[in-house]
Amino acid sequence: MPETSYSVLGIFETPDALMKAIPKARAAKLGEVEAYTPYPIHGIDDALGHRKSPLGGMVLVMGILGAITAFGFQYWISAIDYPIITGGKAANSWEAFIPIMFEVTVLFATFTAGLGMLFLLNKLPFFGHPVLSSKSITGITRDRYALAIEAEDESFDSAAAAQTLKDAGAIEVEILPAPDRSPFLTSNFILRALGGIFTACVVAGLAMFFLTKWFPLLAPMKYMQDQPRLNAQKASTFFKDGHGMQQPVAGTVARGFLPTATGTQEEAASLVNPLPRTKEVFAEGRKVYVNRCEVCHGSLGNGVGSLTAAYGGKPANLQSQMFREYPDGKIYWAIVNGKNAMPSHAPYLSENERWAVVHYVRALQRAQNAKDEDLKVVAP
Amino acid sequence: MKLDAATSAGDIPEGLLEPALTVGRVTPGSLDDQVLAFPETKPPKQWYFALAITLTAALIGVISIGYTFITGIGAWGNSSPVFWAFDIINFVFWVGIGHAGTLISAILFLFRKRWRNAIARFAEAMTIFAVICAVIFPLIHVGRPWLAYWLFPYPNQRALWTNFRSPLLWDVFAVNTYFSVSLMFWYLGLIPDIASMRDRTTSKLRKVIYTILAVGWRGAATHWQHYEKAYLLLAGLATGLVLSVHSVVSFDFATSVVPGWHMTIFPPYFVAGAIFAGFAMVVMVLVVVRETMELKNLITMRHLDVMNKVILSMSCIMGYSYMMEGFTAWYSMNEFLHHGFMNIVTGTYGWAGWVTISCNILIPQILWFKKARASYFWMILVAVGVTIGMWFERFVIIVISLHQDFLPSAWRIYKPTMVDFGVLLGTFGIFFTLVLLFARVLPVIATTEVKAILPDAQPSHHGDEHHA
Amino acid sequence: MSQNKNASPLIWGATALGALGVLGSYVAAGHERFWANWVLWFVLLFTLGLGSLFIVALEHLVSAKWSVPVRRIPERLATLLLPAVPVGLIALGALPVLYPGTRPEAAHHPILAGKAFWLSIPFFSVRTLVAFALCMLGLAVLVGGSLKQDATKDPAFNFRARKFAPAFMAIFALVITLIAFDWISGLTPEWYSDIFGVYVFAGAFLSGLAATALCVLYLQDQNRLEGVRGDHLYNLGGFLFAFTVFWSYIGFAQYMLMWYANLPDEVIYYKVRLAGSWRAITICLATLHFVIPFFALVTRDAKKDPKRLRRVAFLMLGAHVLDMYWLIFPVLGTKPHFSWPELSFALFFIGGILLWIRGAMQKGEDMPVGDPFLREGLEFRL
Repeated sequence: MPETSYSVLGIFETPDALMKAIPKARAAKLGEVEAYTPYPIHGIDDALGHRKSPLGGMVLVMGILGAITAFGFQYWISAIDYPIITGGKAANSWEAFIPIMFEVTVLFATFTAGLGMLFLLNKLPFFGHPVLSSKSITGITRDRYALAIEAEDESFDSAAAAQTLKDAGAIEVEILPAPDRSPFLTSNFILRALGGIFTACVVAGLAMFFLTKWFPLLAPMKYMQDQPRLNAQKASTFFKDGHGMQQPVAGTVARGFLPTATGTQEEAASLVNPLPRTKEVFAEGRKVYVNRCEVCHGSLGNGVGSLTAAYGGKPANLQSQMFREYPDGKIYWAIVNGKNAMPSHAPYLSENERWAVVHYVRALQRAQNAKDEDLKVVAP
Repeated sequence: MKLDAATSAGDIPEGLLEPALTVGRVTPGSLDDQVLAFPETKPPKQWYFALAITLTAALIGVISIGYTFITGIGAWGNSSPVFWAFDIINFVFWVGIGHAGTLISAILFLFRKRWRNAIARFAEAMTIFAVICAVIFPLIHVGRPWLAYWLFPYPNQRALWTNFRSPLLWDVFAVNTYFSVSLMFWYLGLIPDIASMRDRTTSKLRKVIYTILAVGWRGAATHWQHYEKAYLLLAGLATGLVLSVHSVVSFDFATSVVPGWHMTIFPPYFVAGAIFAGFAMVVMVLVVVRETMELKNLITMRHLDVMNKVILSMSCIMGYSYMMEGFTAWYSMNEFLHHGFMNIVTGTYGWAGWVTISCNILIPQILWFKKARASYFWMILVAVGVTIGMWFERFVIIVISLHQDFLPSAWRIYKPTMVDFGVLLGTFGIFFTLVLLFARVLPVIATTEVKAILPDAQPSHHGDEHHA
Repeated sequence: MSQNKNASPLIWGATALGALGVLGSYVAAGHERFWANWVLWFVLLFTLGLGSLFIVALEHLVSAKWSVPVRRIPERLATLLLPAVPVGLIALGALPVLYPGTRPEAAHHPILAGKAFWLSIPFFSVRTLVAFALCMLGLAVLVGGSLKQDATKDPAFNFRARKFAPAFMAIFALVITLIAFDWISGLTPEWYSDIFGVYVFAGAFLSGLAATALCVLYLQDQNRLEGVRGDHLYNLGGFLFAFTVFWSYIGFAQYMLMWYANLPDEVIYYKVRLAGSWRAITICLATLHFVIPFFALVTRDAKKDPKRLRRVAFLMLGAHVLDMYWLIFPVLGTKPHFSWPELSFALFFIGGILLWIRGAMQKGEDMPVGDPFLREGLEFRL
């Protein structure tokens, strides 16, 4: 520890004596005047000439930041990234965001107030301050009031400071060395701190792994998973046939899959496409066409799809005269029942999807055989 | 011009003067010797005896919770339609107990009620312990508590986010914020006291522990300045927080359409009820602490008197709320509300309704009498009554409202199981174990705060306002 | 004082002009509108008086010392309850016009039939009279006793006031709930909200506080409250701030719960107030009653700044008027009414209130000089 003196402590027995000594100590202009007391003394800030604590402003700013953060976070999640309607409430329901917004505001503000006071303004933790190792400290945290004249430079006249404090009524005077800031700056400490953080990370990681991966599969924990239920695609002894998943009852019809166009293709010619020609319907039809039809009939519907060469067949050229003059119902019939090498698409296309694709085929045909007046329709 | 006339008014008569906040001669030094000595001395036999009892209760709780984990939530009495029962009752009950601590430490601080200083530390500690007990319940009620972190919104490989429109998620935020803020408030208050303990202890191990915990606090005036500002700000923020936490808890119920839950009065009524129950618990514990730890000179009959008055006023607010609930049940001309209210006073669980009303409204009225407020017998009777009454109030709200809702075919009677009672007993065990440990390990009275309000503690030109 | 005297003819003139307009609106603007205005100003007058009386009672209840030097102000404001009685008795004329529960068809209404007796004119009037009587009792004990103490300097009053204050709180809860449920939510008797009394209480207390703060600042300007310092103002400002937040808390909780549950018999109340021009008024109300005062008073220094406090107190009073307008006027239809009848009522009642307060301010001492705690109150420091 360096021997240069840093401050002189004068001990007083009553707050009154302390308060009376402050102006005298400040008038001596030997260094910074600071008081050490067991509890806050009213009016001491003015006496010592302290500026206002900036904490209030910090807390206000952080509180507002907390409010904005919380609202933005909730808004982004609920209305943008994961807009799922629950309870009939709109994705952006500001009313529902208020409580969390409030809590996060308070959280930000309180942590700023508490930790900002401790770490930023008071620069704690700091264990190297000479007052802590002085012999007066037991009194200071108990029932004594200390006044210190402090200076960082070496020309500090500790004797004069001691005399000033004695003259001001100190019952005891103690000369203190400079603060010992070393323990926090040595590479040894930094290494240890880094090592500590690394160890903490490893331990936390292992703990999380244990908690999320291994622990839930331990005996009592996994009971929740081992439920006596039937699993799809799994064997089960519950049913006679040994399957967990059962066939639907004979004659079951899925919604949107009513058997239609059961007669001949000629009978189906009179069927009318029930869907309107809207953007959505064409988009739906295009999706189905791309997924189901394009590989054979080609993206233009001209019968040249990506599979045509490998497959060696001859898919219908939908742009041909015959198909252009086909009524909607006959195309529909072909989708439902299949034709020549084309299989039936009824099992996986709903009625609406089939009709949508019919609209799309019509659009393809018209696109390849556009007339002048078509342009006029599109123009506005 | 009026000042002379004012000062010529007669002296304050005896009966209007408030008794002093300390009895006998208390100096900063004697205060330290009295309060900070507890952690340095060996606890008496009775303390070990009490600890054995509370630990047994806690053990029963741990066993019950373990049994729940192994068998599942079916071990409890919860069943359709009463899916919320003991778990949520106890959760609301314990969160409520905690509110008194924040009220004493924050709201009364803002109102500059100096009597709070002596009891704030204990009440704050009870807040933290109560919230610890409270969080157990949602945690075990989710069934798989090791997955409880799913409640937090964090980016995950399932690409799922939490539902911010659900009051249950608000609860997660509210209770976590409440716990963190209470803990920090408590710890900040402890720092100067721990510094005192650090400087007076002779044991080497204690010295190391206290040195670390006190983060090098040295009582500098600049530090006190920021400290006091922080304390004031925290008090203001905690005041808003304490209102919000139990309001959010009430939203769990009030946002639904269940008759008996959907009440607009719920938020302030829950807050009042929480403070009510919390004060009762604080009175109960303080009476014991005052007697067994020889703190009669610091926790005076005046403290107890004022706290009893707070209990009485909260009881009246509860009475107003019950009255409004009954009035609305009639005024709304809504048959479901009406049926729900009649269930409270006459139904299968009507007895629970009457326990609630008599314990919360009728019995505390005895506190109108000064003699009752000064008698251990009456104040303990009221405090125990309020604790029971407030527990049953949550029972009434949750079980009675749920067991008969809109669909008569789904009506069913709820019966708790032994496991339910085991968990409840366990939380009482955990709570009082922590209280007992706290009483022997940390300063039970905020010595720094009490020092600041002792006679002659402040420079004389500021002294007048301290004649309490 | 001279400035004060010059202002007097102006106030008298404005009040007289307002009175003419009030009479005119009875003839020309339709009975419904006349009575809606009358009920609005009755409620405002009553809540201002009752809120001030509550401040007085609160001081006795918690034995506060800091407020003793300024107590005479809310005591004087509480005397507004006296003119509120005749205004309220006249307001009973609004019952058959505005209150659906009093009409004969209510007896066959599916919801109203069951509580037709409660809503009927005789029982309604009896409740209002009981509320008035209870207020007069409170006024006599708390304000009358305090005024007498100026001369007698007898601390017996403090004993009596402390004994009476808890009882007054019960009276207050009953009265404010009755006024809220009968006079305000009685306009839409199918609608119910059990927090409504507390909501009106928050507004009433705030209006009392704001008026008190304004009068304190006014008297301070005239050097009539020597010894009242920034510390006292800080407390007044703090209460204003806290109860602004409380009002918003109650208002938001009521709205949020109804919005969330979305029950048709409840949300209709907000449906009306969130449609068309009422939506703009609702947003204005939230801004004026919460956002602006909140940020204006949030810092410590702002609460003791007389200039700012005066502005915020003015704003709070205006916001309270808007609040009650927002509660009462939708009964007239989906469009907000505001033109000469409303202005005349405002002139008449504001003028009348100012004259009454001016009269009260000129009588007796400005501080409760007989109160033994006055000295302690004056020495109060933060």
